[in-house]
Amino acid sequence: MSWPRRNWLGPVRTASGGMRRHKVQAIAIGLVVLVSTASATLGFALLAASNAPFTRAFGTQNGAHVTVTVNAARASTADLAATSHLAGVTAAAGPFSESVVQTQFQGQPFGQMALAGRASAGGPVDDVVLNAGHWPDGPGQVVLDDSAGGGGPALGSTLTVTGVPGTPALVVVGFGNSVTNTADGWVSPGEIARLRAPGVPQSTQMLYRFTHAASYGEVRADVAEVGRALPAGAVTGAASWLAVQNQATGNGAIMEPFVVAFALIGLAMAVLIVGNVVSGAVVAGYQRIGVLKSIGLTPAQVVVAYLSRVGWPALAGCLAGVVAGNVLAAPVLHNSAGAYGVGSQQVPWWASVVAPAGMFALVLLAGFGPALRAGRLSAAEAIAAGRAPRAGRGYAAHRLAARLRLPRPAGLGLAAPFARPARTAVTLAAIAFGATAVIFAFGLSSSLSRAAASQTHSATIPVRVEPFGPGGGPGQMPTAAQDAAVPAALRAQPGTLHEVTLYGNGVKVPGIAGTVNAAAFGGDASWTGYGIIAGRWYDAPGEVDVNNAFLDQSGLAVGDTATVNTGTAQVAVRVAGEVFDPDSRARMYGSTQTLPGVASPANVVEYDVALRPGVSAGAYVQAVNRALGGQNPWQATTRQDGGKFYTIASGLVSLLALMVAVAAGLGVLNTVLMTTRDRVHDLGVFKALGMRPGQVLTMVVCWVAGPAVVAAAVAAPAAVALNTATVRAMAGTAHTGIPASFTQVFPPSRLALLSLAAVAIAVAGALLPAGWAARARPAVALHSE
Amino acid sequence: MGQDDLIRLDNVTKTYQAGAPPALADLSMDVTAGEVAAVMGPSGSGKSTLLNLIAGLDRPTAGTVTVAGRRIDNLSESGLARFRARHVGIIFQFFNLLDDLTVEDNVLLPAQLAGASRRAARAQAGGLLERMGIERHRDDYPARLSGGQRQRVAIARALVNAPELLLADEPTGALDTATGLQIGRLLQQLNAGGQTLVLVTHDPALADRYAARTIRLLDGRLAPAGVAA
Repeated sequence: MSWPRRNWLGPVRTASGGMRRHKVQAIAIGLVVLVSTASATLGFALLAASNAPFTRAFGTQNGAHVTVTVNAARASTADLAATSHLAGVTAAAGPFSESVVQTQFQGQPFGQMALAGRASAGGPVDDVVLNAGHWPDGPGQVVLDDSAGGGGPALGSTLTVTGVPGTPALVVVGFGNSVTNTADGWVSPGEIARLRAPGVPQSTQMLYRFTHAASYGEVRADVAEVGRALPAGAVTGAASWLAVQNQATGNGAIMEPFVVAFALIGLAMAVLIVGNVVSGAVVAGYQRIGVLKSIGLTPAQVVVAYLSRVGWPALAGCLAGVVAGNVLAAPVLHNSAGAYGVGSQQVPWWASVVAPAGMFALVLLAGFGPALRAGRLSAAEAIAAGRAPRAGRGYAAHRLAARLRLPRPAGLGLAAPFARPARTAVTLAAIAFGATAVIFAFGLSSSLSRAAASQTHSATIPVRVEPFGPGGGPGQMPTAAQDAAVPAALRAQPGTLHEVTLYGNGVKVPGIAGTVNAAAFGGDASWTGYGIIAGRWYDAPGEVDVNNAFLDQSGLAVGDTATVNTGTAQVAVRVAGEVFDPDSRARMYGSTQTLPGVASPANVVEYDVALRPGVSAGAYVQAVNRALGGQNPWQATTRQDGGKFYTIASGLVSLLALMVAVAAGLGVLNTVLMTTRDRVHDLGVFKALGMRPGQVLTMVVCWVAGPAVVAAAVAAPAAVALNTATVRAMAGTAHTGIPASFTQVFPPSRLALLSLAAVAIAVAGALLPAGWAARARPAVALHSE
Repeated sequence: MGQDDLIRLDNVTKTYQAGAPPALADLSMDVTAGEVAAVMGPSGSGKSTLLNLIAGLDRPTAGTVTVAGRRIDNLSESGLARFRARHVGIIFQFFNLLDDLTVEDNVLLPAQLAGASRRAARAQAGGLLERMGIERHRDDYPARLSGGQRQRVAIARALVNAPELLLADEPTGALDTATGLQIGRLLQQLNAGGQTLVLVTHDPALADRYAARTIRLLDGRLAPAGVAA
């Protein structure tokens, strides 16, 4: 008889209804797909975030092409307002009063800050993104720029402004981000007057967007146009968006290699695990399908039944995964926005569509092959195919294991994977990917830590003395006596291990356009810890070290000689080594004897200090500052700049590695679950013969121990190679070489220890089903098939 | 419990689902050491449930089960596993041999799980294989053996730890008549050597031929005398 069409799905529903009786498998499918989808969503979001983040943020936030600083005494508000109608100006905002102030936080110098008085965050130009708190709505409040430096104030903290009458306090009421860094902080407009030091001229800022501002030449022409429209001498400075873009693009590009590496690992993991899950589910259900086919299910109905059986939990996993991915991405993108120097970043809509849709398609694709096979099988074949593994597989392994002097449950467990070689291979690959991700994450974090330490010198220079103390108001220079007090105070401290004066100034080197930043050390500086990429640290007069940008721009190599014009003398120097200093500007390091013109009192940048072992940096700083006195601009500080990127990158690496490891663990869980189901009757027999729950647990965990050991052996060298390639790629995007030590982060003992991640992932994934197997009552297991 | 009782069940009830009729209801019985007791009854009468409870493969809902002088209804899973390994050997209708282990490894397994020394276990297994007449198959896999040979392997496996009690669930049910007779005689020989045996069977002839006593179950209870189960 022929059935009405509306009944076609009835048997399909019956066939796929077994999901309710396979809750754990459904949950495993759902969870793996959830983690994979969340990982993919996050990966897409990060890739999108690292793809021209500045350009997109600049457009979204109406970034200022030019921030013009104006002497308010020379231009009226009306003059400034008129500039917004100049030809070529597409939008303008301001005037905003501004003041450059010296600040302290918790009694320590917090540096110089440019504060602007703005009534609101929004506007036609430079739409500041308020990431936390609220905009200042009264006196004594400040919103700080997100990139103002790490380890600083939190919401509700108080900054003290020094160098102005009354040393006013500012409570941090918010954190915002200006894509073009128009200010370090914002206060209410009426606040600026009391933040201005006596005698300092009033200044205001105007923010402009222009029709043509794509090059430095166009920007210069735009600024000149504004200058001509205002009274002579009114424009005192102009900041171009191109300079900010250069720096932001450099930061962002560095992240791309490891984000891509993790995205590829995550994708490969997802394909493997989903394929394994679906194939396993299909194979496990053959018997049921065979029975249903024997009562009339058509091949097409079998295929649909199978796909729907894995499809529903997969769909749930996809939907939950995209939500989880968005939730996870929020804090990550917040940090990423900080690293890229843009206000805010969101998960792009297409990531929330492509990730779940792609993952769902992947699930269906993975299930289609086995489902089609099931559909084509005869009923009898389907029932037979659902039974135990093909006879003969793994017998030799069992025979060998029985001869080994191992506890019998361990021997049985170690031999089991050979019965299902394809499933074992997939499990091995999943563990290997997970372990690779974990080892890679540790290695990358170590590499990043070394790069951070090399760049910030946090380990070698725990204390610096900088000219930002309470006696250092705007425009005030330390006196000779104040300068001389610093080395004396440092040498008088018993905790001082090393101290050296750092001078800085621009020098000229033939072949390099523009100025080379020269750093001259007034004493032994070999302890300061610059990472050496090639050659060595200078150790004789006439020798210097340089960064990669210097070598690139000059065409010189380590060992070559360069002529340096210091402004007071022309000297020949030999390049002794290349140091790690990822900067697009050429830099040079030498002694004050080698670079004589640089070492003038006006050029003292800071005093660098190394401490004896066991000396507290905080106590040392307090002692030095007491010795220097309260009115000395020179103040000791433990503050380190420049490590924020590395902190964010390390956090991202950890999160990505954790997600991949969890996905790998779920993959193992599913495999062990499927094997447990396959062998449930054997488990009943083992128990009937006296196998104790602990022995069952051991046996089941040993099912994955062998693949885990092999996976560890594969993952360790793979992770080392991946780390080396990734770090080099990151360095390449930052236009720098790297010291060999940055990639030599895997001493054999550490690598061996990290390789245990494979075992940890395998055991963690196996423990849950092993526990179920151990607790199963033998009478039930014996009668289950 | 009498001094000679190897098995004693007191008011044992086993219910699998709340609200459903119990598989065993308030059952009390005993089996003396050295006895061969046959358990008979129609499908669903509770034979397998009774065997599972005596073997410690399952726990009663109510009542006590004492085997070899020890209450087993209140043992932990580990305790039950140890109990099975030391005191009980089980023979299944469909043999339940492990296909990926050789004959010898199948027989050795309970001894190895119980912690027996390798040498002692191999000696014991070798003796049993010889006694069962299947020594030449020690390195073969079960799939290559006939049904009778497989059941002999299963009996050897059940005996390897020298248990006080041998439980057989339809031991001839999957065998042809001639082979079934051979296995029956083998079990009879074991009993002649003092082995206590509980035999679950549908086959009245098997029960009559080999069992000294027949316990008849009907709907989870002992069938009244004179009622054929």
